Amino acid sequence: MAPWLAGMGLYALVVGVSGATSGVPGPAAWLTGPTIYSGGAQMAAVDLIDSGAAPAVVLVSVLAINARLIVYSGAMARNWAGRPRWWRALAAYLLVDPSFAVGLDRYGQAADGARDGGGRARADDRDGAHAHYLGGAVALWLVWLCALTAGAIVGPRLPAGLHLEFVIPLFLTGEVVRRAATPASVLGAAASAVVAVAGLAVPLRLGLLVSIVAGLAVALAASREGR
Amino acid sequence: MSPYLVVLAAGVASYACRLSMVALGHRTGTPALLERAAPFVVPVTFAAVAAGGVVAGTGSAAPVASRSVAVAVAVVAVRRTGRTHAAVAAGMPTLWALNALLTGG
Repeated sequence: MAPWLAGMGLYALVVGVSGATSGVPGPAAWLTGPTIYSGGAQMAAVDLIDSGAAPAVVLVSVLAINARLIVYSGAMARNWAGRPRWWRALAAYLLVDPSFAVGLDRYGQAADGARDGGGRARADDRDGAHAHYLGGAVALWLVWLCALTAGAIVGPRLPAGLHLEFVIPLFLTGEVVRRAATPASVLGAAASAVVAVAGLAVPLRLGLLVSIVAGLAVALAASREGR
Repeated sequence: MSPYLVVLAAGVASYACRLSMVALGHRTGTPALLERAAPFVVPVTFAAVAAGGVVAGTGSAAPVASRSVAVAVAVVAVRRTGRTHAAVAAGMPTLWALNALLTGG
């Protein structure tokens, strides 16, 4: 959890700096934090608004970058089934890459525990997993907004030579190495990376969406062959 | 259109993505394909975003080379330690050192 908080903080600092140094009104750039709440989509939105893009172009771009959240939403749906509507609405709002990763880990542990324990232990573990997700997601959200605000205020004074924006690719690479434990996931991640680089020139960053679909297709095909 | 309205609309669209399958899945059940794909979503998505971050936004060959080597060092560090933050701890100093060597700054 701590590495995610540090990574989120640095990333939000960079996003705050990019918003503050753009031509978009400062409050509008900051507002992308609590509304869009996704670094890549926030920076794309600010950049497009700054360049005078049509609102439809901004919306399609944000949707393309955030389409992965639909997959995250699907993966979390079964874990959140049976929770109150307000709880699921709040949990969904807080769903980002780190909270998804942290939550999925804990729900996986709860499922393992359920196989080993009885009914009471199963219910306790599920409640613990829900609390873990929501607590972690709120902490990540608070860190994101605080660091975003700090970046908007003091960010422009940080030396550009530090290349703080590179913390995120490095951190995500570390997560890929740690999580790609099966041959299928390694193949899927490799395919996704190759297609993402090849698709960088695709407008609206749609190449990112294509690369995710391609990577998942490769991983699913490889997992079928591996059975 | 006011930039504030555009940002708010983009926020609503983002929330719709987050809520979509949670709202639908609760009633209809999560599609089997999504269940099979779930273990691969994080490594595949993060690999795509990271790869784009390594290559994009660099105007010269030197930063790309620095970034690529920094990522390679980060991969080795995580494999050795099993910890994600080792990627940043090893990768950033590598990036700074190589940038200083290759670009003189």
